[in-house]
Amino acid sequence: MIYRQDNISKTLNAVIGLIALVTTASTHANVSCENTERQPGTQRKYSEAWGTTFNGERHQSSANTSINADNAKHLKLQWAYGLSTQTPRSYPLVTEDTIFIGDGGYGLVALDKETGCTRWANTDIKDIESAIVGEEVDGSTVLIFTGRRSGVYAVDAKSGKQLWFSKPKVHPVPMYSGSPMAYQDKVFVPISSMEIALSLNPFYGCCTTSGGMLALDIRTGEKLWYTPTIESSGGIVTGRHLLFVEKRGPSGAPVWSAPTLDIKRNLLYFGSGENYSKPSTLTSDAIFAIDAETGKVVWVKQYTANDVYNLACDLSSEHPNCPSNSGPDLDFGAPPVLSTLKSGKDIIIAGQKSGAVFGIDPDSGETIWSTRFGRGGKLGGIHWGIAVDPELEQAYIPISDLPTGQNGVPPGPGLYAINSADGSTLWSATLRKNCEEHSCWPGFSAAITSGPNIVVAGTIDGHLKIYRGTDGKLLWSHNTVVDVETVNQVPAKGGTIDAHGPMLAGNQLIVSSGYDSFGQWGGNTLLVFSVEEAMAND
Amino acid sequence: MTNSIMPANPFRRFTATVIDLILTPLVGLPVMLVTGLLESAEAYSSMSTIGIRALTIGVIAYLVLNGWLLHTRGQTVGKATLGLVIVDNTTGEKAPLWKLLLLRMWFLPLLFLLALVPYAIIPIIDQAMIFTPSRRCLHDRLCGTSVINKNLMVQL
Repeated sequence: MIYRQDNISKTLNAVIGLIALVTTASTHANVSCENTERQPGTQRKYSEAWGTTFNGERHQSSANTSINADNAKHLKLQWAYGLSTQTPRSYPLVTEDTIFIGDGGYGLVALDKETGCTRWANTDIKDIESAIVGEEVDGSTVLIFTGRRSGVYAVDAKSGKQLWFSKPKVHPVPMYSGSPMAYQDKVFVPISSMEIALSLNPFYGCCTTSGGMLALDIRTGEKLWYTPTIESSGGIVTGRHLLFVEKRGPSGAPVWSAPTLDIKRNLLYFGSGENYSKPSTLTSDAIFAIDAETGKVVWVKQYTANDVYNLACDLSSEHPNCPSNSGPDLDFGAPPVLSTLKSGKDIIIAGQKSGAVFGIDPDSGETIWSTRFGRGGKLGGIHWGIAVDPELEQAYIPISDLPTGQNGVPPGPGLYAINSADGSTLWSATLRKNCEEHSCWPGFSAAITSGPNIVVAGTIDGHLKIYRGTDGKLLWSHNTVVDVETVNQVPAKGGTIDAHGPMLAGNQLIVSSGYDSFGQWGGNTLLVFSVEEAMAND
Repeated sequence: MTNSIMPANPFRRFTATVIDLILTPLVGLPVMLVTGLLESAEAYSSMSTIGIRALTIGVIAYLVLNGWLLHTRGQTVGKATLGLVIVDNTTGEKAPLWKLLLLRMWFLPLLFLLALVPYAIIPIIDQAMIFTPSRRCLHDRLCGTSVINKNLMVQL
């Protein structure tokens, strides 16, 4: 026998070469801007945070959008961009000439606002699933966002270069599902936990972690403080299965969504989700108010007690990690909104997956009023976000009511307008199922946004709709579940509109279409509609 | 190296590997339960942590299953079932235990750990080398061992 070292080396070299070829081949195309100044402008930002304003109202005033109830019917598709994911989950930051957005597994892109060409792309960061928010730091605009599994990033808006990355050790399995907020010298980061899914593994001992709110130094990404929603989570062994696997608790109360900042009171408000394992706590399915400087909890108000659930229960109620009498899984997935009434009094308006809406006193946390729409469910009810128009003093409540095992209760998918001061219903625009295809459902799961006398909302069956604010009349509707030509030549088709929903900026309406989760329809379009300047003043 | 070493039939050797690959995870399951190495959130804090803990479980399971046989007879359960034995490629005698434990034992789990990242082709190549003229896998070559029929070993 002859030891053929040279043949082995050749074989290994060929294998390594093949691997390198496969892993470096790009499947994404983009069109670089040639006739445009490549460096993005950052003088004007159309949003302060995920919630458009720090208050989280998801409302654009006439100073920031020219789209209104009179000209909405003239909206036309200006350009489309093919994203590299079937489940787009990034919400853009728009400046005077640029749209910054996470492009699925491709990276962070800065697109020319008028043409969609690419000013720059940072392809080092692959899992961006949050809003892109911007803040001025020492004379430069810094873009802040999260990778769902990876951590928190800061990128220079002009160049696209990464400034810092942060993943403080506050949690063994954090999920950065909610969008961060950047304000002055701090970045606030909502934290949820991967244990919601790890519980699916029957050999896993559910659960030991909780959600929380993290504050970072905006210049360095260093941790300033961390406030968990459950103190000493996982400290109690509640049982064993398979002889050795220890069940633990309490756990859960994740923070799925962006915080809301009350600058006057220097408070952060955010909602929490259900407990993952027993014992239940008083901080699940609750609204928190914490000191924005220190993270100290000022008040907590729980709205659903004893809600203990994790994904194992979706496999079987007999799953060893599914708690007994589990559910009903009624998170606050939508951020609470701070709004000032015409009387000058402030109010927090919070919508829950149950379909319930609460008016809350920001000073005490006491409930002022409550109302409820639809039947609610694990995916809403109210899922991603409501909008509040302070000028009309009304809140818009999107209801999904996607079937998730609710038996016997009739659904009420649609849009509801309520008086912000007392919660009384002003009008409703319910939706009917108008197709029989798999997973076809008309409800509003995605966050909505409002503008001057308009509400913009996208449906699970892929329709983008604009309603008049004063009476709920449907002004414009567009089916996004179609193939579109894209500026970057990527084949693209829309699907379910979910997650962060639409955005109003200047004369444009921007939305991602597609959401390949929960059996919904995948899609990979970023659609930019606009009204022509001549019609903007209709 | 001695020319009297006659590598085992590749199909028998492959079957022995398949037996080991089935048995090791079966033993790994109770090892995982008893040690609790993949039971808590800390285990899933990073891919490297998951990998190291899974590897540790695999090594313990491999030793529980094969340790005594390797020490006394130079065999794994799969190889014993098929009448094969691991020998030192230079002497033709039962491979020394340190070589089996410190080199050879680590090779297969490391290969399967590599399979978690985009190098799944490497363990496939390793196993496919059974069918080369020398009938020696990559790990045989690196560890200086061969796998032969047990009855041939007696004649050496």
